[in-house]
Amino acid sequence: MKYFVFIVITYLSLSTFSFPQEVIHNQVNLECNTCHTCEVPTKNDPCLIECPRPKMQKEFPSSETGPDIFIMDELENRYLPVVFTHKLHAQMSDMTGGCLACHHYNTLGPILRCNQCHSEKRKRTDISKPDLMAAYHQQCLDCHRQWSHKNDCTSCHAEKKGNESFDRSEISSELTQKTHPEVKKPVKIIYQTDCKEGKLVTFFHDQHINIFGLDCISCHKNENCISCHDPAKVKNGKQHNFDKPIMVNISETERHQRCFGCHENDKCSLCHKNSEMKPFDHSLRTGWALNKNHLKLECTACHTKDKGFTKLENECVSCHRNWNSETFDHKVTGLMLDEIHIEFDCSDCHLDRDFSRRPSCGNCHDDKNFPNNKPGKLVN
Amino acid sequence: MGFQNRRDFFKTSLLLTAGITGISSKKNKAASLDGPSENRMGVLVDTTVCIGCRSCEWACKTTHGLPTKPIDSYLDRSVYDKKRRPDEHALTVVNEYDNPNNPLLPTDVKVQCMHCEEPACVSACIVGAFTKHPEGAVTWDTDKCIGCRYCMVACPFQVPSFEYSKAVQPKIMKCDFCFERTKEGKLPACVEVCPTEALTYGNRNELIEIAKQRIKRQPDKYYNHILGEAEIGGTSWLYLAGQDFGKLDFPKLGRDPAPGVTEAIQHGIFSYFIPPIALFALLGSVMWINRSKNNGEEK
Ligand code: SF4
Ligand code: SF4
Ligand code: SF4
Repeated sequence: MKYFVFIVITYLSLSTFSFPQEVIHNQVNLECNTCHTCEVPTKNDPCLIECPRPKMQKEFPSSETGPDIFIMDELENRYLPVVFTHKLHAQMSDMTGGCLACHHYNTLGPILRCNQCHSEKRKRTDISKPDLMAAYHQQCLDCHRQWSHKNDCTSCHAEKKGNESFDRSEISSELTQKTHPEVKKPVKIIYQTDCKEGKLVTFFHDQHINIFGLDCISCHKNENCISCHDPAKVKNGKQHNFDKPIMVNISETERHQRCFGCHENDKCSLCHKNSEMKPFDHSLRTGWALNKNHLKLECTACHTKDKGFTKLENECVSCHRNWNSETFDHKVTGLMLDEIHIEFDCSDCHLDRDFSRRPSCGNCHDDKNFPNNKPGKLVN
Repeated sequence: MGFQNRRDFFKTSLLLTAGITGISSKKNKAASLDGPSENRMGVLVDTTVCIGCRSCEWACKTTHGLPTKPIDSYLDRSVYDKKRRPDEHALTVVNEYDNPNNPLLPTDVKVQCMHCEEPACVSACIVGAFTKHPEGAVTWDTDKCIGCRYCMVACPFQVPSFEYSKAVQPKIMKCDFCFERTKEGKLPACVEVCPTEALTYGNRNELIEIAKQRIKRQPDKYYNHILGEAEIGGTSWLYLAGQDFGKLDFPKLGRDPAPGVTEAIQHGIFSYFIPPIALFALLGSVMWINRSKNNGEEK
């Protein structure tokens, strides 16, 4: 729904109401019968194939590029049209099933309007799908009911008092620009478990995002608004106070599944400790301290996708394969070579190109050694 | 008199009655009901999408000229504190139950006459004030009713209620499947107003297919049973739920129609114009015979 909503809004703002499906149709390379059952689909009768559809739209624009709002006015009667804050809902749905939560069964190609499948009339021949009013309400109320514990109409519908008409230009920017406030992210969460050896699991939320590069939906695929919006009934320990260890009320399998995507082959004791864990530190965990250059890098610069976070060879050339005396700027090591030494090959000092051992001056000098004597000057 | 004895009594009297009237109960049933026709209509109540707004209650009262408060007052959720039954003031009511799958989404269940395929109320009514229509509705006729309230006792869903508050011409009150509206091609009032279409009106066979599809597509969401598909010979109103129907106060019923015995006796008698007094004299004597037999055994 969200995407067609976008289309609608764009066109509304231009005060026209032609539906730009033709344009999009030209861009898709599909057989007609992927989506339509008849030879000549028309706007009024697109004869779309029945749900559930074998081929469905999975890719949608991001919540940011979709439309801001969408005006639902097909069914206005007792109430004024509903201004649906699309962007706000799209942002929330990023963590709750994504666009597909509403745009279900969308055929490939254009994003469909809800009323292309859901009849605007309750009395109709095909009763296998809910009508439009029911489709809207079923989508909205599942969350709204849980959130507010109410099912009143006026949180979305403004009641019609008299014959007043709805003026689109008067929709306040507060609504059109409405976005979800940034979600407060915890630094760490300590889980209290019933595991005998290692009761506590310290989960560094910030490090998983900032260091390990996970985005929200890697873990939060099926969040419910209520996880945050129902402070009265805190469910599953999803409260905002993460100072103390919390218990989670989900099955062991479900708990572990969230981590196993990456940690499947790790030992239990990697996470399960008897006391709170320290944040991840490369030198403590791997025995290989990151120098100031390596610290600046994303983990994935060295730990590539196909290798994952496994132990790497720690010779420079295992990563820096094409380094030689011409391509390597020795300054980055903290030592700028002088005019004479800069001409040499690496292996003249780093015997056998073994950079983990102390360099040797013996090839040319009998009386010098490193680091008492330096082939250049130290820089920061 | 113990249960066993009562049954004996019924058996004996049934035999006698059948003998008198000379017809079998089977024939009677066939006469009272032409079997579910192909265009039998029904309503599928999907309790998993009902939000408990009670608009249906309001619409039902409004359509049937029953006094009601304005619709805004239906937002008051304190009515759910106790379970209600349809009565002479409300032909349909919605009750709320805990949902074990999600405590934040309680299960709301609309209750009204089920419009049974083989309605016990029709069979129980000795003057034929109830009618099962081919399209599904079971209606009641004020002119024929003698106020005996047999229907109230017979109904397995405890639906018909009696206007006790009225001294003159009290009526039996129950959902009439909006008979007048549907005759004009309109939807039942409750179906029309329901914001989530928890109530789907349509051909009963089609509704059963739709219900099966919903269960198949979302097996986690639905309890695998369509209430009313087979119970007591089927009902025109069908229910889907996310949990065991027993937890939602539905009576546990077998597949056999509830009527049978009463039907055979009553229809037999009245279609052959046997004066009730003669029958009761007969039944009385059977009872007396049975009792003296029992007394003999007990001694
Ligand atoms: S539910 Fe009761 S009143 Fe309604 S048709 Fe069945 S037996 Fe009759
Ligand atoms: S079908 Fe008509 S009479 Fe029956 S509950 Fe609905 S509105 Fe009331
Ligand atoms: S109108 Fe529909 S959603 Fe509201 S209580 Fe009645 S059946 Fe449920």
